[in-house]
Amino acid sequence: MNRLLRWGLALVVASGLLIGGLLLLPLSTWLPGGTVGDIPSAQVVNGSAFNRLFPVPGTGEQLVFTQEKRGFSQAKLSRGDDPLALLAIADTTTAPEARSKFNDAPALIKGWPLVDQGDQASALLVGGRFQVKVIGQGAGLDVTQRHELLAAFDLPGLAALPQPGGAKALAPSSDPA
Amino acid sequence: MSRTVLERLERLPKRNLTVLALKGISTLVPGEWQNVTSADALIAEVLGSDDPQLIAQVRTRADVLSRARHEGYTRALSLYDAVNRSQRAGGGLRLAANLGAAVPLIKGLANLTPSTDTLQAADLALKVSAELLAFTQVNGLPGDSFGDFTASLASYAGEARVRMVALLCFDALLPLGDQALHRLNDLLGQVGSGELRQLPGYRAMAPLIPGRGEQAHLSFLRRGVDAWVDWAGGLVGTLGLSGQRAVQSLEGTLGPWQGRFEQLATFLDAFTDTYQHTGTQAVARRLVERAAAEI
Repeated sequence: MNRLLRWGLALVVASGLLIGGLLLLPLSTWLPGGTVGDIPSAQVVNGSAFNRLFPVPGTGEQLVFTQEKRGFSQAKLSRGDDPLALLAIADTTTAPEARSKFNDAPALIKGWPLVDQGDQASALLVGGRFQVKVIGQGAGLDVTQRHELLAAFDLPGLAALPQPGGAKALAPSSDPA
Repeated sequence: MSRTVLERLERLPKRNLTVLALKGISTLVPGEWQNVTSADALIAEVLGSDDPQLIAQVRTRADVLSRARHEGYTRALSLYDAVNRSQRAGGGLRLAANLGAAVPLIKGLANLTPSTDTLQAADLALKVSAELLAFTQVNGLPGDSFGDFTASLASYAGEARVRMVALLCFDALLPLGDQALHRLNDLLGQVGSGELRQLPGYRAMAPLIPGRGEQAHLSFLRRGVDAWVDWAGGLVGTLGLSGQRAVQSLEGTLGPWQGRFEQLATFLDAFTDTYQHTGTQAVARRLVERAAAEI
């Protein structure tokens, strides 16, 4: 009897797990952990909106798009076979902590706060939401080259993008320069 | 909780048969191949900075990204795992058949293993398509036009030059001969639903392949391979790849080989994980590139 009871119990538990799992299966897309930072993807600007805002490559340079996800688009700038830089636009909705470094930004480009990270990376925060970043690759770029690249993005176009689930777009600070 | 991409990168072997095989084959490609197994070193290289604070930030972000199921980084790795399991199983089976031919009791096994060329071609098609699927999982559909997309694909393949050369040599030139790319279309024409179902990796990949049913999947595989063959043919031409040269380069690290080429391919299939190894490294690099841009 005892043995029968144990088998019965095991069967009930196993079938319960199976049925529970099957019931949850269609809900898997809504289970936590699906999206970055558990933020609904509808609140994040799709990366395809960023593509046309990238700078136009100079003569002899190629711009190849490498990644496009929700809230992110990245391209690689190169001259011939030599990589020059990674260019990226990211929606900071999924990474609010990335915004804090701009609070005491020492400089502005076209009115948007500018921060240098390490020796090869420079970033702008546009409209209080979109982070534009240039990371020197290969032999590297100097600071002025990186800042020129940042300024070559279509920054007004980026600031004018509709911001789902966010506050109204911020206007650039007045630039004394 | 499953491992993150960077944890998987750090668990890759630093020196084993897989690494030696890759080192050998990388001598066919200009430039030096580095066996990247340190996440911090990879981040420092992408970021161009050794600042430990920045590196820690990138790492945290990369782990958040690889835990998000919709981002596809871990899904790409499970694709590579599936293909790797399939390759190992197939290699083991062929190895057993080779040995079995000498032992009377298990001679029957040799008759059980299907014609190797067709199956090998199907295996290659599966790998190439897994590559295509993994690319879209990791990178999305970059750019606004089809031209942007193909440029992106070519740039990705160029980054992973050694990976592609390894795929070409180990899965096409060695087992199928130097005319492999020309024969591929005919061989794939002989692959039916039955052969496809025999591939252990297919079952794991099937839900991710567009289309419903084996016929639709077969036509996807064939189209994927068609697109790849042109590019691969160019690579074979510029680097002057051949089965002979592949064996020579492998002998540099693995030691002399006196058997037939397809036996070497079987041996490599059964005992190395080159596809999974370089795949993990490629995914980790793309993930770090994104995390570095998002911190």
